Amino acid sequence: MSARIEARNVSKRFGGVVALDDLSLDVAPGEVFGLIGPNGAGKTTFIRILTGFWLASEGDVRLDGVSVTRDRFRVQARLGYACEQPKLYADHSVDAFLRFVGGLRGLHGAGLRGAIGRSIERMGLEPVRGRRIGVLSKGFRQRVALAQALLHDPPLLVVDEPTVGLDPAQQIELRRILSGLRGTHTVLLCTHQLHEAEAICDRVALLDRGRLAAIATAEEIRAGAGLEALFLARVGRSAQAEPAT
Amino acid sequence: MSLLPAAGLVMILVGVASHYATRSLQGFSAFPAANVALGIALVLVGAAARARAFRGFSGAASRRVALRALAIFAAGAIAAIGLGVASRSWTARLDLTVDRLYTLSDQTRSLCAELDRSGAVAIELVFFEDALLAKDARLLVAAYGAACPRVSIRDASRSEPPAGARALYTTTATTVIACRGGVCDPVGYPSERNITAALLRLSSERSPRVFFLIGHGEVDLASESDGGYSGLAALLRDQGFDVRALVGPAAAEGPAGADVLIAAAPERDLLPEEIALLDRWLESGGRMLVLAEPGLRSNLYSDLLLRWGFDLEDGVIVDAAASPLLENPSPLNLLVHLFAPYHPVSRTLSRRTMVLMPTTRPVALARKPQPDDRLERIAFATERARVDHDLTRALAGRSPARSDAAIGEPAVAAAGSYPRGGTGAAGEASAAEARIVVIGDRDFASNRLIGALYNRDLLLNAARWLASDESRIALTDKAWTPNQDPLTLQQTVAYFYFLAFALPEALLLLGIYAWWRQRA
Amino acid sequence: MIGRVLALARKELRQLFASPIAYVVGTAYVALTGIYFFQHLVSYNQLLFVYQSEGLGGGGFDQGTVPSHINVLNEVFVPAADDFGLFLLVVLPLVTMRVFAEERASGTDELLLTSGLRPFEVALAKHAVTYLFVVLLLAASAIYPAVVVSRAALGFEHLIALYVGQLCYGCAIASIGLACSSFTSSQIVAAVLGYSIPFVLLDFAWLSNAVSEPVARALGEIALLGHYGSFPRGVIELREVLYFASIAFLGWLASLTALELGRAR
Repeated sequence: MSARIEARNVSKRFGGVVALDDLSLDVAPGEVFGLIGPNGAGKTTFIRILTGFWLASEGDVRLDGVSVTRDRFRVQARLGYACEQPKLYADHSVDAFLRFVGGLRGLHGAGLRGAIGRSIERMGLEPVRGRRIGVLSKGFRQRVALAQALLHDPPLLVVDEPTVGLDPAQQIELRRILSGLRGTHTVLLCTHQLHEAEAICDRVALLDRGRLAAIATAEEIRAGAGLEALFLARVGRSAQAEPAT
Repeated sequence: MSLLPAAGLVMILVGVASHYATRSLQGFSAFPAANVALGIALVLVGAAARARAFRGFSGAASRRVALRALAIFAAGAIAAIGLGVASRSWTARLDLTVDRLYTLSDQTRSLCAELDRSGAVAIELVFFEDALLAKDARLLVAAYGAACPRVSIRDASRSEPPAGARALYTTTATTVIACRGGVCDPVGYPSERNITAALLRLSSERSPRVFFLIGHGEVDLASESDGGYSGLAALLRDQGFDVRALVGPAAAEGPAGADVLIAAAPERDLLPEEIALLDRWLESGGRMLVLAEPGLRSNLYSDLLLRWGFDLEDGVIVDAAASPLLENPSPLNLLVHLFAPYHPVSRTLSRRTMVLMPTTRPVALARKPQPDDRLERIAFATERARVDHDLTRALAGRSPARSDAAIGEPAVAAAGSYPRGGTGAAGEASAAEARIVVIGDRDFASNRLIGALYNRDLLLNAARWLASDESRIALTDKAWTPNQDPLTLQQTVAYFYFLAFALPEALLLLGIYAWWRQRA
Repeated sequence: MIGRVLALARKELRQLFASPIAYVVGTAYVALTGIYFFQHLVSYNQLLFVYQSEGLGGGGFDQGTVPSHINVLNEVFVPAADDFGLFLLVVLPLVTMRVFAEERASGTDELLLTSGLRPFEVALAKHAVTYLFVVLLLAASAIYPAVVVSRAALGFEHLIALYVGQLCYGCAIASIGLACSSFTSSQIVAAVLGYSIPFVLLDFAWLSNAVSEPVARALGEIALLGHYGSFPRGVIELREVLYFASIAFLGWLASLTALELGRAR
């Protein structure tokens, strides 16, 4: 079970600042789709519009034909979101936190227990299951964030900078997990790590100053000079200020 | 949120708090006012700055969402305000007091229904919202407004009492005054019994009959000189009493037709049959007001009143404490300012509502006729007062500084209530209560002094109490908490440890345990 | 919907009692109410001793009679109820200040609002848990009046009326605090607002000299204290319950509006 994303002419303004400018893209079901770009390119803005946290100024995003502007709750039911710098409740244990998220997702009883068990097993959280999130390392917290995003087995998984702060082993493990979802889930991966996008994504979209600068498949990237060359060619500089948000 | 509105709110808070903290010292002052004004200004400036910084919504969808949210809030606010306004007239309530203190009795409801059926002129209860007892009385007064169609409630403040009730507003304890057609009744303590009694009095088609005993050297009711008492009769008539003279109680009618009999300082003995007639009349529930005076001798004082529990030993009260306040100070001129705070005759009077009594005879209490009778001293001289039995010496101002008869706070007035069986109109036995008020001075009611200070209030209170007929509706004041036992020392200490320490300690330990578990 | 609201409510409860603030607030409230209740009780006790010796009442013929209006209700409960209300005003903003503001500051509001939770469900759960905390607070403080009631035969029904009033009053204060918390990400600002607004609404007597009589009357209708007096006296009036319920409803609506406006950026 996976989901299709269709974004059409999505724009987002904050006063005079344009965070997204007429962005259109499609993500096919079962695809691992990467979203890269410099700081302030609009990646997180797009994700927040997709997840229904913010409203688009213009345009719309649809998930399996369901408009996030008009029916965000149906969209939210079909996605799991692990945001950058995981927003977790430090005073909860891992188990309690997953139970809480499961409750929000409509899971209960045996179904909830099973889902928690699977998430914990998939993310390797068994050793820290009963520990308070506040005392966990960054790596484990990232895993908890992913675990809660996958708890209800959503067709679409949205992850924003999942490997920031992780050690190399953890990064490899996480990439393996995300790659493993290919085909059964759609994954929208937002990342600064070009090699990471190159390694696991089927397609990559490059955003720059709110616009879609380029979009390429993994084969095209490998056939060309690589993602870094593409980035430099289309963006042309290494840093850019974030629009005011 | 910017700094300015937060600072402004803090200033408003300080302004309001400082006003509350100091208003008893100096009312409304500049410091709180300045804080509140400046605080409001800062809040407005901050809000304006924020409004200017607002760049508008980011799109049509945002605008729709924002406007819908604000519209829902506005609709909710209007609905809440509308409900609040509409519900002000709702009277549905649950009275959960043990004795249903704020639920009107069946007798009161019957009286209200009777008033409604008869189409009687409406009675207005003037309720002083800022009176001392207002908070306690509001619930009860509101019950009258809800249950009695012919009774309306009018809110008033002590700074501007309504015209008709102004004269009756005497102390800050005055809470309710009942008025009908320009005639007002002070009610007294705002209990159901007193309010209903006032309604009864005002709605009564018959004015209470006051008979003055005449023929034994009593005061001259016809005289309009300073020493006369025409003002006394006029005052009672103005207050709705039917004033008549009873030329000797042995006359055919006797006192039986009287609601109140006033014996205004008789100077001679009554006939034995007159004493017997009065005695029988009192036994059947009669009501009598007696004015005495030093030097007067009559068997009314020595026989009748003594039998009913009043000892009017001859003498005059000498009180140096009252003198400095008068223009012509004399220790014989009493400025009476000590009153029994809870008796119906005296409870509207206080230290600020004094009564002037020149040459006053002490009214002491003797043995009460029956165990259930209640005798109470209702007005007193100060603790420095004493009684001089040598009138000549006292009137000449030669009372000794110390006296063996010094008794401290001698009473200048007393009242008695006597539950008795009586006979109803159809000859059936009925419960009745005899009442007597004895005041040790007659001059305070003379034309010269009746308008002085609060002299007329004492007199009217006595007349009203004597004329009131709560027994008709058989309402008793509802019992308050019956158990008034004080705590023992051990209980006090135990309560303190439990309330102030043990319970908070338990909570704190629970918190520490929860915190430790969290960290573990 | 119910499942989501319950899940969020459980989370809120867990967070509330994992934080020391709940215990500190509870301890402070219970200690303050206990001390002040005890002081009123001692004063009443002393008054009884005075009446039952010679002293007041003019030493009537029936000496030692305590006037009927000197009783536990007038001398202890009613004054204590006024104190309790003030203490609620002091402690509740400390609890409400973090409820919404902390979520915004830490970013966990994004987690909540992207997981299928409706804004009204978020507001409902958070308000409900805070009201439950008010109930627990009052329950802890109800022990000593209950003890005195059992001695003085005032009646447990009367105590119920007192605590219904406290509950209504407390929920209204809490609701205002929650509304303030929902408009900011700073707990300090939320606390300042949560203190200021109820304090100003408490009693408009401070304005009575500056405004006309009709305006003063209208403000008196809005003032919190003006709607509270019947409960300590044992009477539950429908219109007063509706008044406090309206405030709680408006507070909830304000929180909901804040959540919706947050999305309409």
